[in-house]
Amino acid sequence: MTVAAQFQQVTQRFGDFTAVDAIDLTIPAGKLTTLLGPSGCGKTTSLRMLAGYSTPTSGRILIDGVDSTRTPPERRGLGMVFQSYALFPHLTVAENVGYGLKLRKMPAAERTRVVAETLDLVGLGHLAGSRPKKLSGGQQQRVALARAIAIRPKLLLLDEPLSNLDARLRVHMRAELRRIQAETGLTVVLVTHDQDEALELSDQMVVMREGRILQQGAPIDVFPAPANRLVAEFLGYENFVTSADGTLRTVRPEHLQVLGQERRADGLTLEGVVVDVAFRGVDRLVTVDADDSLGRTVRLTADVRDGAVTARPGDRVVLGADQAHVVTLAG
Amino acid sequence: MNTRRPVAATLAVAGYVIMIVPILFVVATSFTGGSTLRFPPEGLSLRWFDAAVHHTPFITAMVSSLQLAALATVLALLLGIPATLAIHRGRLPGKGLVEGLFLSPLIVPELVVGLALFQQLMIGLRLDNFTVLLIGHTVLMLPYAVRVTGASLALADPFVEEAARGLGASPLRTFFTVTLPLLRPGIFSAALLSFVTSFNNVPLSLLLQSRDFRTLPVTMLDYVQQSYDPMVAATSTIILAGTVLVAVVAERTVGFARIFGGINR
Repeated sequence: MTVAAQFQQVTQRFGDFTAVDAIDLTIPAGKLTTLLGPSGCGKTTSLRMLAGYSTPTSGRILIDGVDSTRTPPERRGLGMVFQSYALFPHLTVAENVGYGLKLRKMPAAERTRVVAETLDLVGLGHLAGSRPKKLSGGQQQRVALARAIAIRPKLLLLDEPLSNLDARLRVHMRAELRRIQAETGLTVVLVTHDQDEALELSDQMVVMREGRILQQGAPIDVFPAPANRLVAEFLGYENFVTSADGTLRTVRPEHLQVLGQERRADGLTLEGVVVDVAFRGVDRLVTVDADDSLGRTVRLTADVRDGAVTARPGDRVVLGADQAHVVTLAG
Repeated sequence: MNTRRPVAATLAVAGYVIMIVPILFVVATSFTGGSTLRFPPEGLSLRWFDAAVHHTPFITAMVSSLQLAALATVLALLLGIPATLAIHRGRLPGKGLVEGLFLSPLIVPELVVGLALFQQLMIGLRLDNFTVLLIGHTVLMLPYAVRVTGASLALADPFVEEAARGLGASPLRTFFTVTLPLLRPGIFSAALLSFVTSFNNVPLSLLLQSRDFRTLPVTMLDYVQQSYDPMVAATSTIILAGTVLVAVVAERTVGFARIFGGINR
């Protein structure tokens, strides 16, 4: 694995607040790494330190093996896409994309060619002469992407790039990002609070919380085996159950079932009283007050066509999950 | 006009009438053929315009006013733009206080400022009255320079400068290729406002006048106190024409809404 960048014991404090707490992180070259976590987890601060917009309180940041901790952003050669896109309003789309190339003293003819190629890559060739404010949010986002890609950056940094788009466009742009990353072979670091986005896009996902890295790895390894309850919660696990021996287990709502008299589940069983049944189109969301000693509320989803689910509020039900779907957590 | 809101519409019309009609009277009387400032004008002639442009005190004062307004505007922008940048982009401790200081000339009565400058600079330091007037006018212009340029900066995406840095621009380069172009409409409107405010100023200019240097409004005021003829109306019409011309040019080039307020982009 070639390493594009590395955080070594990087800490960032703002007054009394520790935004990033001694993290170690390796960004593999040519891959897409996502920093995932709720707001305030330190993901954007980490990205900004990598880009050079803020200097760590302590620790080192290596880019291509070179200590770049105190290198100003203009000498790092990275491409950043801001959440607000930060396009230059006084320049045309083509001039925005060509801005970094002009600074690199690329001859005008070559610059025109690279700008056109990059705009084609993001599908905006026809808007080269427009001003950014005439463009839709999705188009502005592509211009920001093209502007960052045009300089052939060592790393492409994306700060919540899809969060300002509407839901449909967001899903479409995920595919676009994957295509662009594959075509360019760029090393990408993407910050997001959306676990679906992280799961779908990442080669490596890094789950952060309160300035620390809770877990990192490929989505296919992280998702089925969250390291602890915080990661599990963030990945959408619910229904946390503590056994008599103190082990904490969890089942996702879609894997918990209402059991008939004849069935016992081999993983986990719970009994309780239905408090609510909500119809949600593809499924029903059933909320149950479990009568285990902790008295917690569990939620499960049941397919709407599942005739077996006739539970109504007030009914006593037995719930169960197969062993394959029960995740045991370390803490 | 919005016919669904008759009260607002009526008030708006009343506002226009109150603002514009008295000015129309002045313009009309300036074309009189008679020799008194009276409405309706007696006959039609350009004799008072001819008199006005040949009245040496007015010509001298006009030149003085233009010089003073131009210099004060340039000075106010040179001081105000860096202050705006420091307030909006810098890591200045006590930003609010600094901004308040730069805006305070809007609140402090001009006569108090004038008197203070008169006492301390003209009497105390024996500075000549042009220098003191220039200082006074510059101070009066600062709120416009800071507020109006600040408005265009406050509305700009604060990350555009970081974006430029990331793409390889040094801080200086970023200032000239991104920050300054973003500020341009704000600077233009601040300059226009400052210039007009300085040109029309009476209280400061009145207090700090001297025989060698006095501004047009002060000279006109002086003139009206002694003789009541239509030459003052003719002069006013000339100034009005100049102002309208500036406004038209401004509207044609960047648009009025953008200039005043510097925000509707």
